[in-house]
Amino acid sequence: MSNLPPDSDDALGARLRAELPRHAAPAHVRAAVASGTAAPRSRPAWIAPIVAASATALALVLALYLPLLPRVVPADPTERLLRSVVAEHTRALMWGARHPEVIPTALPWLTQESGIGLRKVFVGDDQLVFVGAEPVYLEGHRGMALHYRDGDGHLLSYIVLPVAGLPVPDRRRVSIERGASRWRPALMHDSGFSAWVWRQADGQLACFLVSDMVSEADVERFKDYFVRVRVSTDPVPAN
Amino acid sequence: MASDDFHRLALEHLDALYNFAMYLTRNPPEADDLVQETYLRAFRFSHRFQPGTHLRAWLFQILRNTFLTFYRLRERESALAEDGVPTWDTPMFHDAPEESSGAVEAHTDLERALRRLPEEFRTVLLLAEVEGMPLEDVARVLACPVGTVKSRIFRAKERLRGFLRDYAKE
Repeated sequence: MSNLPPDSDDALGARLRAELPRHAAPAHVRAAVASGTAAPRSRPAWIAPIVAASATALALVLALYLPLLPRVVPADPTERLLRSVVAEHTRALMWGARHPEVIPTALPWLTQESGIGLRKVFVGDDQLVFVGAEPVYLEGHRGMALHYRDGDGHLLSYIVLPVAGLPVPDRRRVSIERGASRWRPALMHDSGFSAWVWRQADGQLACFLVSDMVSEADVERFKDYFVRVRVSTDPVPAN
Repeated sequence: MASDDFHRLALEHLDALYNFAMYLTRNPPEADDLVQETYLRAFRFSHRFQPGTHLRAWLFQILRNTFLTFYRLRERESALAEDGVPTWDTPMFHDAPEESSGAVEAHTDLERALRRLPEEFRTVLLLAEVEGMPLEDVARVLACPVGTVKSRIFRAKERLRGFLRDYAKE
């Protein structure tokens, strides 16, 4: 029996230690964490501001069922990197942008964390709203992700990684012209998502723009989004 | 530190982190997500962890920061007392809704009283008293001076005692 006065600080501390139930991590959490591939199973209501129903439904289906399918790691380095980029996009879709600081407020921090500087950056317009920016770590590379959302609720993730000379498959290149400018990014697909893939900063950086815009009708709009981001964003290696 | 070693050491704190997450969110699915997100961040930024420093405190700090990132009120205009804690009884941070589906009920007066504390007060008690964390580590988790931690513990216990007295009269 304790000799502590029942109302004392020590007695209260002892009560907290003795009476509060402890909650052990469930097996599924332990397994997910131990595998190192834990991903939030759902987008909790307390986080979600508004996510378009179609995008959420697609993400849930992908998140629930894709892990159940046998995964084959692509041998092609571009496809392998794309798979990681799409996984990061899916995570952002499920969990939301985790650092909703508004550029340029977050720019020094982003550059420090990602190793990538932005000489200029697309901060949204009448078609795309800037959602958030965050550092990423994919396939052993530190990089940067900027997230945007369009009027229909499609989330777009622009991800830059310092992968010099990433091969961009010629057979998937698409010519996009806007005024006097012309680009030839590759349109690639993975896990139900589409992605523009290109190189920038003299080939020192690999750039991706990912979205769930996969239908024929969506491609034209996805091209337009590529132009908006490509024209207004100029990433460079920070060191 | 090798990646495998880091993962192994980090996993040793899983139950403690989950327990903390449960008391912050009061909701098992949200605690699941919070803990998984914490480990994702820890693994992602493991290169920033300094071997020899306090991994436990670092993990708790990530978990709390993750929690606050998603729970923090957008408009935080409240006047704060000198130690950064509001002087009234309402929480500074928006807490997980008490009535949300799947929320765990409080079974004892002590649990009810703890839930009524603002997040800062609840956290210092959980870390210092329940987890037995040294005050220096608690200060690291909360990113505040040790003196502030002591002040918050004192004030948290004062409020806790007040709530318990109220319950005893009911």
